[in-house]
Amino acid sequence: MSDWHTHVFTSTYAADVSGVCSVLYELGGMTVLHDPSGCNSTYTTHDEPRWYDTKSLMFVTGLDEMAAVMGDDSIVIKDVVKAAADLKPCFITLCGASIPHIIGFDYRGVARIIEEKTKIPVLPVSTDGLKSYISGVGLASREWICRFADTEISIRAHSLNLLGVTPIDFTDQAHVEELKKSVTPEGYTVNACFAMGDSFEKEIGIYAGAVNVVPTSAGRIPARFMQSTRNIPYVEGVPIGSYMSEKIQKAIQNSEVDGKNRKAYDKLDMDGNVLVIGEEIYACSMATAVNHTAYAEKNNLKATPFWPDVNEGLNEDELIQRINSAKIVIGDPLFHSIIHNKFTYMVDLPHEGYSGRIYHKNVPFFASSNFDIEERLRERK
Amino acid sequence: MNEYQLIKDVNYEYDADIGLAYSSPCRGIWNIVHIGTQVPGCHQIYVCPTSCLRGVVLTTAEMHAMDRLSTITVGEDNILEGNMEETLHDGVATIIKKLPERPKMIMIFISCIHHFLAANYQRVYRILRKEYPDIDFVDAYMDPIMRRKTPVVPSLTRQIYRVLQPANHFAKQVNYIGNWFSTEDYSDLTKHLQTNGIDIRDLSLETDYNHFKQMQNSSLNITFHKYASFAGKDLEIRLRQKWIKVHMGFDYTVFAEDMNHICEFLKIPTISQKEIEKRINACESSLKELKKIIGNVPISLDYTAVDEPLNLAYYLLKHDFNVESIFIEVFTEEEKVFNDLRALKPDLKIYSTDNWNMRAMNREHEEKVLAIGQKAAYYNDTNNFVDIIWSAGMYGYLGILHLCDLMKDAYLHEKDMKNLVQQKGWRCYAK
Repeated sequence: MSDWHTHVFTSTYAADVSGVCSVLYELGGMTVLHDPSGCNSTYTTHDEPRWYDTKSLMFVTGLDEMAAVMGDDSIVIKDVVKAAADLKPCFITLCGASIPHIIGFDYRGVARIIEEKTKIPVLPVSTDGLKSYISGVGLASREWICRFADTEISIRAHSLNLLGVTPIDFTDQAHVEELKKSVTPEGYTVNACFAMGDSFEKEIGIYAGAVNVVPTSAGRIPARFMQSTRNIPYVEGVPIGSYMSEKIQKAIQNSEVDGKNRKAYDKLDMDGNVLVIGEEIYACSMATAVNHTAYAEKNNLKATPFWPDVNEGLNEDELIQRINSAKIVIGDPLFHSIIHNKFTYMVDLPHEGYSGRIYHKNVPFFASSNFDIEERLRERK
Repeated sequence: MNEYQLIKDVNYEYDADIGLAYSSPCRGIWNIVHIGTQVPGCHQIYVCPTSCLRGVVLTTAEMHAMDRLSTITVGEDNILEGNMEETLHDGVATIIKKLPERPKMIMIFISCIHHFLAANYQRVYRILRKEYPDIDFVDAYMDPIMRRKTPVVPSLTRQIYRVLQPANHFAKQVNYIGNWFSTEDYSDLTKHLQTNGIDIRDLSLETDYNHFKQMQNSSLNITFHKYASFAGKDLEIRLRQKWIKVHMGFDYTVFAEDMNHICEFLKIPTISQKEIEKRINACESSLKELKKIIGNVPISLDYTAVDEPLNLAYYLLKHDFNVESIFIEVFTEEEKVFNDLRALKPDLKIYSTDNWNMRAMNREHEEKVLAIGQKAAYYNDTNNFVDIIWSAGMYGYLGILHLCDLMKDAYLHEKDMKNLVQQKGWRCYAK
C-alpha cells in the first residue's frame, strides 16, 4: 500500500515556518519561532541564503518540556518583550512548529499580550511545522497585509503586485528583477513585490496595485484575501520564456479590464512524457512553456506537471513511478537518485525549496522571458 | 544592552535561560546525522514533522549520503487518528523492504511530538526486533524539547553503543568512547597505549560493523568529552566495563595523572617522569616561539573548538598571551577554574554565543584578532582562525604542541572564514 509518510530515498520540502521567516525577512520585523530548537538553524542554513550577509531578526524561543507541559506562556512573552525592547523591530511575528500546535498554543492571545506590553504590532501566524513553505508564506503574507496595508489607497491603473515571492522559489534579488521585467506589460509598473526588494513602507501601498500576479502558489492566500477585501483580480503564472511571459502579460491586461482571475498556463493533461516536478504554478508554467516549443512538437513531447501537496509533500511511490515512466524529467538534481532506468533523461533545474542551498549557485533565471527551456531540452543526449 | 559581560561581573551559576536564541551561520559542530553516519553499515530513520526533517535530510544530502537515511513524516493524520505507532512500524518495514542492501543496524530517531502524544515507540521496536532478528534496532532521539534532561548529542552518543552486549573482556583492548576524530597523531595517551601493545578501539576509525561490535570485548572505556559521559556510565553499568574520564584541560600535572591512572588499570608501564618533563619543556618552548610570532595580538576562543575554553584561556594568559574574549553556551569547567580565570583577568569578555543580542553585535574589529574556533572567528569577523571543533583529536602535551602549530598557522595565513564556517559537520565523512 502506498504511504505518503515514508520516504526511503528522497528529500522533503521547506516547511511552513521557513516560509513565514522568508517572506517577512526584509520588512524590518522580528520573527519569533516558538519551538524547542532546530527549526531555526534549518531555516538559516538551508532556506535562507540572505542570512550571513544581513542582520534581519529571527529567533527561536527554545520551548522546553516543562514550559510545554505546564502551558507556561509567560516565558515566551517575557523573552520576546525583553528582546523587542532592545532590538526595536517595527513589528513582531509569532509562528511555531508542531509542539505549540499540539498543546494548543494561543498565538492570537499571546500576540495580543506581547503587543500590549511592547506597543509594537505583533502578527500571530499559527503554523504547525507539518506543512510546506507554501502555507507559511501565504499565511504570513495575509496576516501582514491584513494588519499593515493601506486599504483606503486608490488603485493605480496599469500597475501590478507580485505575491508570495521569496528566495525559496526565486533564489535571489537578481532573479526577482528578471521576474518583474518579464511579467510587466508595456505601460505597466510594478507597484509592490511581496516581499523581496521592497521596504515596509512600499508594501503598505500594496492595495494600489490593479492586478496581483501569483508566480508561486505561496501567493494564493494573499491573492484571495486581497480579492475578497478589495476585489483585486489575480493572474497565476511564471514567465518562463517568451511564450509564458506574453501569456501572463496578456492575462494581466485582460484581468485589469474584466476583474476576473486567470491562469496564464494551459490546462494540462497528466499523461505526458515530460515530467515537470516542482511547486504547482511553476510546474504548470514550465510544462506549458515546454509544450509550446518547436522541439516538443517535433519530438512528440508533452509535458505534465507534478507538484507536492502542501500537507503531504510528494508521495515517493508515485514520484518514482512517474519519474521512471517519463522520457524527460525537469526537476531538482536530488531526484537523480531515484531514476532507475536508462531512457529517462534529467534536465536539472534546482529548487531551493527542495534541495536548499546545495545547488544555490546553479539555479538559472528561469522566471525570465529570456529563459529558453528548448535549449535545455536539446542538451539531452 | 552589551553582548558581553566582563568575567568579574559574571556569576559562576550562569543563567542558561538566555531568552530568545539566535542561530549563527557557523555550522562546523556535528549534529546527530553526522554522528549517526560514523557507524559503518548503519541506516538512520527519522520520524518527525516536516519542519524537523528538513534539516537532517539536507545535512545528509550535503554529505552525499542520502543512501544512509530515510524518513517517516509525521502528519496531522497521525495526531488526529493516534496511529503514530502503526505509521512508525509500517514505515520502517517499507524502508527495509526497499533498501537495496539490508542494513546491519537501524537507528530510529523519534522526535519531540512522540513524547507529547505518548507514542509507545518501544513496543514498536520490540515488534521490529522480532520481525527482523538480523538487524540491530537502536532507539534514538531528536527531541530537543527534552534537552534539559537528555541533551541530544550525549543521548545519541550513549545510544550508538547500545548495540554492544555483555561479553568477555580482553585485558589489552580498550575503547575510546565518543571520539569522532582520530587521536593517532596528536595524543600522548594514544601513542603510549599503542607502544605498549594495547588494542585501541575507536569508532572514528571503524569501517566494519562487526569489528565495531567487538568494542563489547574491551576491558576499559575511556571518554574524553563531557558529552560522552552518558555513554561511559551506561556501558559501565550494562557491560561492567571499567570507565575512566580523561580531563581535557591544559594542566600538565592532570595529563600525567590521568594517563598514569589508565596505565595502572591496564597494568602497563607509565610514561616516565623524565619523558613527561621533556614533553612539558617542548610545550613551553613551543609557546615561547608562538608568543614571539604573534606578540600581543588579541585572542578570542569559543566552546566549539575545545572542550574546556576557560581552561585554555587560563593556560594562554598564564603564558602572557592576550586572551580578550571567550564565546560560550554555559560554563563546563569546575568553579575553581572560573575563579582562577576571573582573578587572573577580570576584564575578560564573556559572550553568550546564542543570545538574541548577538544578532546585532558589531563584528568589526580595528586590529587583527586571532580566533580559536569558528564562532569566535565569525563574531570577530576574522580570517585568522584555528578551524577545529571538539578538540579535533588533540590530547595532552602533543595536543598542546599541535594547537600551537595551528595558532601559528592561523596567525600567518588567512582562511576563507565565510565559506568554511558555513559548511556543515567539520571534516565529517559518511562511512
